Amino acid sequence: MMNKKKFTSPIIEMLIGALIAALGYLAFKRGGYYYKLTALTGRGVVFYILAALLALGGLAVIVVGITSLLRVSRYNALVESGDRAAASSLDRSMGIKAKRALSNTFIYVLLVIISVIWLIPFICIILQSFRVESTSPVGYIVPQQWGLANYKNLLNTNFPRWYLNTFIIAIACAVLQTVIVLCMSYVLSRFRFKLRKPLMQFMLILGMFPGMLSMIILYRVLKDLGMTQANAVPGLILVYIASSGMGYYISKGFFDTIPKSLDEAARMDGATRAQVLFKIILPLSKPIIIYTILTAFMAPWADFVFARYISLNNPIGMNVAVGLNTWLSKDQIDSMYTTFCAGGVVVALPVTILFMLLQRYYVEGVTGGAVKG
Amino acid sequence: MASVKLTNVKKIYDNNVVAVHDFNLDIKDQEFVVFVGPSGCGKSTTLRMIAGLEDISDGTVEIDGEVVNDLQPKDRNIAMVFQNYALYPHMSVYDNIAFSLRLQKMPEDLIFNKVTNVAEILGITDYLMRKPRALSGGQRQRVAIGRAMVRDSKVFLMDEPLSNLDAKLRNQMRAEIILLRQKLNTTFIYVTHDQTEAMTLGDRIVIMKDGYIMQVGSPAEVFEKPENLFVAEFIGAPKMNIVPAELVNANGAYQVKLFGAAIPVDGDKGAELARARIPGRKVLLGVRPEHIVLSKEASASSIPVTLEVNEMMGSELHLHAFTDDGTRIIFRVPTIDLTASERAGLVNGAKLNVTFEGKVMHFFDPETEKNLLYSHEY
Repeated sequence: MMNKKKFTSPIIEMLIGALIAALGYLAFKRGGYYYKLTALTGRGVVFYILAALLALGGLAVIVVGITSLLRVSRYNALVESGDRAAASSLDRSMGIKAKRALSNTFIYVLLVIISVIWLIPFICIILQSFRVESTSPVGYIVPQQWGLANYKNLLNTNFPRWYLNTFIIAIACAVLQTVIVLCMSYVLSRFRFKLRKPLMQFMLILGMFPGMLSMIILYRVLKDLGMTQANAVPGLILVYIASSGMGYYISKGFFDTIPKSLDEAARMDGATRAQVLFKIILPLSKPIIIYTILTAFMAPWADFVFARYISLNNPIGMNVAVGLNTWLSKDQIDSMYTTFCAGGVVVALPVTILFMLLQRYYVEGVTGGAVKG
Repeated sequence: MASVKLTNVKKIYDNNVVAVHDFNLDIKDQEFVVFVGPSGCGKSTTLRMIAGLEDISDGTVEIDGEVVNDLQPKDRNIAMVFQNYALYPHMSVYDNIAFSLRLQKMPEDLIFNKVTNVAEILGITDYLMRKPRALSGGQRQRVAIGRAMVRDSKVFLMDEPLSNLDAKLRNQMRAEIILLRQKLNTTFIYVTHDQTEAMTLGDRIVIMKDGYIMQVGSPAEVFEKPENLFVAEFIGAPKMNIVPAELVNANGAYQVKLFGAAIPVDGDKGAELARARIPGRKVLLGVRPEHIVLSKEASASSIPVTLEVNEMMGSELHLHAFTDDGTRIIFRVPTIDLTASERAGLVNGAKLNVTFEGKVMHFFDPETEKNLLYSHEY
């Protein structure tokens, strides 16, 4: 005769869960205490996060306890009805399932917490961009009065100009850099020439130096060419695409996975090298092309350092990052802070949409180039 | 439809490895030539030099009398079938076959006619709209052949086209290539490492080793008159037995002495030896497995052996045995020649007597490894 199981372990699980949740409550109270002192900064935030973590974790453990409680009662019912086989198979699955459920719960709770923390600044900036009761930074998150005034205000500033600048730079970079990178990768993947290996090693070592090292000399050169300050846009395009050939690694890795015999077959069929690239290799490389375009678009879109010193305080040559930053200066922040937030949202929009549309290819591109290459 | 002539062709790689030494060959119009040899012998490299996919380090390749050394592959008017098919994965079968015609800017209706015609010959009409990944290995190979056929090129190159197929399909496709060849009437150069393919397909076989040509000849020639030890062992399966022996010339009547037996060299072979006035000497004796016969009882010309392995192949038995001094020999016995009790006696450790057929023996110089009767420089 099989014995019934006791309800001790599920009850202990639920008690532990309750204890953790109680700790979470304590942390919440503590956080409230600090919050009153210092608003939503420093220790207050830490305690709120801790409270959320503990509360969610405690709840998860309680859920696990409840499910195992249900299982034990089902097991006991089966034993009572004499269905031993079903009972023992349930017994076996119980251990595995419970373990899996427990570890899954913890993983999900952790991921939820991380993503919440990660999202806080974004939520803040979006909410602040709709705040119309004042224009200076405040100590609370949710606006008291909502409206689109900040977005309208953007049009009365230099913002459209900056946005256009950034857009031109990003599009030019996306096009030119993609062409250069793909051609470079194709050559390094398919052609065998003297100095090929030394060239690749040289570029690898060169890539280890931070680009900032060239800042001063680049500024001198661009100044002599008349491409600084108000004319910063072509200068910036030049700076961004100048070394783009060195970013060939991922697409070369991808091209290397396309069998060389395809090239050879196409060449036997009468194709020139360029036709091989455009008719055979590129149609097979959609993920890597999209990946290259996205990265080439993103880098100048968010760049600050180069754009800052090449435009050098001239608002006509600024990109969005540099331009928006000027609104955070001591004398402007009180009048422009909420407009700054609205600008930030507008800047993030195209990139977010692009990523949502193309993320599938982006992931394929990264993994395809890295794993197979 | 063209002749191909290779004169002193060499391939030296950047790291000074010589892949092909002084390759000379005249391929006649509409001839089917097979390059065969173990891996790394330079056969594929030679083919790729003809195709234009490898640079030619030295010497000349002529197609139809025109030196093509410096022509790009697209300008040589050569079609090639690759071992891994090399179909364009993003194109349908139709587009794969039409690719080369579109590059020639041929009008679409003409392309349609040509592609459907080729598809019909190869029996792939039903798959024209499919992508290569939806095809089986045999179908892919047909598409690859179709892609080469559609161009009416001067020379047809095939680089181990059957190696990726399973054994059954390989035999079937081999027969189809023979049929195709009869329909196409063009010059074929075919590379393989499989001596069966070489024997069944080729008008002439070029046997290569370490970048050198070992022998060029018809299938019958390379089988019956191997010019050196390498060819003798490479062609024919199971491979030829090579044993040291003494060739004795007793007034024009030749004998070989080995393992204590004396076997007369009779028939044409004896006459040829006499005509060439080969003196008595030490030789390496080559005997094919099918030219060793079981003898019922011991005699002056029989060799006692001990059976080691008995492989039942169906219509014949492959028997592995060793002589008293431990030399291993393989021989084939047709199953039909044996009575049931004789077959039952062929167990491991059985003592047997075998004798060699004198009229089909091969004699090689132990030092140069060349055939005493037929040898030739390439």
